[in-house]
Amino acid sequence: MNHLPQAWGRPRDDIYGAYNHAHLAPSHPTTHTQSPIVTGTSVIALKFRGGVVIAADNLASYGSLALHRREAAEKFNDKAVLGFGGDVSDMQYLDRYLNALAIRENYSSGSGAGEKASSTSTDASEEERAESLDNEGAGTGMAANNLHKYLQKLLYRRRSDFNPLWNHILIAGLSSPPPNAPDASPQPFLKSVDLLGTAFGAPSLATGFGAHLAQPILRRVVPDEEAVKKIDEATAVEAIRECMKVLWYRDARSLDRYSLAVVTKEGVRLSEDERVEGQSWEFAEGIRGYGTQVV
Amino acid sequence: MTSIGTGYDLSNSVFSPDGRNFQVEYAMKAVENGGTAIGIRCKDGVVLALEKLVTSKLLKPGANKRISTVDRNMGVVSAGLTPDGRHFVSRARDEAAQWRSLYKAPIPTAALANRMGSYVQAYTLYSSVRPFGVTAIIGGWDSEVEVPVDGQVGAGPAVGAGGKKEGEKHGGPYLYMIEPSGLYWGYYGAATGKGRQAAKSELEKLDLAAGNLTLEEGVKEAARIIYVAHEDSKDKEFELEMTWVSSLSGPTKGRHEEVPQKLREEAERLAKKSLEGDDDEDDKPEGEKMEE
Amino acid sequence: MAAIFTGAPPNSGPGYSFTQTPAPTSASEPRQHAFYPYTDNGGSTLGISSSTFTILAGDTRSTSGYNINTRYAPKLFHIDSADPSSRLVLSVVGFAADGEALAERLDTVVKMYRYQHGKTISVGAAAQRLSHVLYGKRFFPYYVHAILGGLDEEGKGALYSYDPVGSYEREQCRAAGAAASLIMPFLDNQVNYKNQYMAGSGVGHELQQRDPRPLERKEVEELVRDAFTSAVERHIEVGDGLQMMVITKEGVEEVYRELKKD
Repeated sequence: MNHLPQAWGRPRDDIYGAYNHAHLAPSHPTTHTQSPIVTGTSVIALKFRGGVVIAADNLASYGSLALHRREAAEKFNDKAVLGFGGDVSDMQYLDRYLNALAIRENYSSGSGAGEKASSTSTDASEEERAESLDNEGAGTGMAANNLHKYLQKLLYRRRSDFNPLWNHILIAGLSSPPPNAPDASPQPFLKSVDLLGTAFGAPSLATGFGAHLAQPILRRVVPDEEAVKKIDEATAVEAIRECMKVLWYRDARSLDRYSLAVVTKEGVRLSEDERVEGQSWEFAEGIRGYGTQVV
Repeated sequence: MTSIGTGYDLSNSVFSPDGRNFQVEYAMKAVENGGTAIGIRCKDGVVLALEKLVTSKLLKPGANKRISTVDRNMGVVSAGLTPDGRHFVSRARDEAAQWRSLYKAPIPTAALANRMGSYVQAYTLYSSVRPFGVTAIIGGWDSEVEVPVDGQVGAGPAVGAGGKKEGEKHGGPYLYMIEPSGLYWGYYGAATGKGRQAAKSELEKLDLAAGNLTLEEGVKEAARIIYVAHEDSKDKEFELEMTWVSSLSGPTKGRHEEVPQKLREEAERLAKKSLEGDDDEDDKPEGEKMEE
Repeated sequence: MAAIFTGAPPNSGPGYSFTQTPAPTSASEPRQHAFYPYTDNGGSTLGISSSTFTILAGDTRSTSGYNINTRYAPKLFHIDSADPSSRLVLSVVGFAADGEALAERLDTVVKMYRYQHGKTISVGAAAQRLSHVLYGKRFFPYYVHAILGGLDEEGKGALYSYDPVGSYEREQCRAAGAAASLIMPFLDNQVNYKNQYMAGSGVGHELQQRDPRPLERKEVEELVRDAFTSAVERHIEVGDGLQMMVITKEGVEEVYRELKKD
């Protein structure tokens, strides 16, 4: 033993050579997501009198490779549905995160919860019942506008940390009444938030390719908030289906299977196995090359 | 107690020569003074009930709930020191959340009981802490269907996930009771707190092992048993707090919730009637006052 | 300021104010796809103060490149609107997420001042506080051009304009955002009478500038409307709606008018 305590118990340099510390400190700075990996394409949504309809296709792409089917829309509670575009792993992270949030929200919504659940029908299918173990009736205190604000702050924080969640999310549902009119009936709510935390709302919204292809069609249906009050659920759903067809025709990263959800005061109807119906590829007949070619 | 003055009761983590941990035994004394708490495992769910002693007329009736939800499908009721009970629930929620983030599925009731048992037991080992002054009853319904996996679309893959066998039964009602020592067992019916002796003998009469009692009958029995257990301390006012958790096809759809007001009031009416004997139903006004 | 980030976009992209990500300069290079934490949401704001009031205005279009995100996204925020004596309005233009975050920060700061001091903050104090809030993020700035409007202790209109890192100045009028370069010269001429001379005062150095005078509310509202209808014609990122907030001693009045949606 020598008089250098820091050397006690360590391999002796004269026998084993000096210890190489190089691998202890990382030689490069901490890195975060620089690009999305497995992605989902457009999400589109439309407000109508008394509710919102939202849709997104079920494809997860790996670059130009159609990788697998994905969950595209998620029910948060009876008042809010989320539609995800962008990175699928970040979407699944948010899914777990919001699930934990919904559970925490539900701890405190004690009284009166009993009446609500027992009044709902019990003859649901096996899957529906499995689903009900998840989010249904959870966090009934949190309406779509509350959820949107929460996500906006979350995504803005993550971009400020240079560690973004690579998603563009649409939040559709019903808003909670404003504090100065607590008895007002819930209004249709539709807003989006992206990976930078930018948030905005409109009568119709579309992310990704849908912003180019679907949004112009949707804006003809509901140019402004006044128009929202004039169209009914059936018209809105039909417009969304038409847009999903256009996206299937022209977006190379799309699929003809999609999820569609309608939120009204009756609750959320989410179907994850919709198909693009009535396809006609006749328009493709005359197209040669890039479309300008004639022979 | 003979042990007093011997010095073996002063520190946690010290045994007496005859192999007892007095701090744990004192903790159980604290439990014995608390309002009666019971749990009944019925064939299609679990009922939890609590005799919540009203310590002040200035407390709002029906507020300050003492039975808590953990995850979505489990409830915890405890007798003893209320703040210790709250900490117990807080830890149970953390355990359930941690399980979910690892496995993306709700924690089975048995696993939660195991983890909480270990946690409570750890508080009997160190001189720097004291044991929990509560005995907690955990009641839950473990889902009988498979939980969807991440990214699952529709019904998901037809085979594979979870490796469950066709036709095998899964899930069901579970009931556990954890004592200050960390000891826990699974029960058909569990009781703790001041009126536990009376409650236990009532629970034994129900023949719960046969598995015939329905959830609604369980609610009524639970209310009656709390009223029976209260007989010995009749001078004190109390509120009856009841929660339940049923199967996915039952009234709570697999979630732990408060028993609906109408059903609870009906159960209380029947409980009071059975205590009165069959002579009259006339003391309703008094009952109403008690309930407030 | 953009040079703070090594991933700063080159100026060769399409005609946005600044592009989303660095684009490859030639096809042979591998495509770099780094995360860039800013974007430009377009739009324009302006503020004019006079002897008894201040008017702030902004269009309500929000853009991403050539896309219109929405036709109604307010750029004006009434600060601490819960306080009936609040006369503060903040306008932000640039990166909308930063703008909203800044407005919420200032709202909190102003509320905290009221709770701690038991009185409403003066516009001068709020203005300096806002400067500190911006400078506090000097090395990761709020990518916005902010204008703060209110009434000073004498009841006169007060207007402060800021750069993204907190440099600020009290002014009579200021235009900011995408069409700032279109609107500002117009305001110079119409509010401060720049390049307007007294008839018959002489030639060359003899020319006397026309003296600016406090403008009437009606005049200012007309100026604002003219400024925006003109900007809409010449800038693609401006349009859809005009949100105006008129700050007087009576309170903060909000006015909304349509703009062209093309």
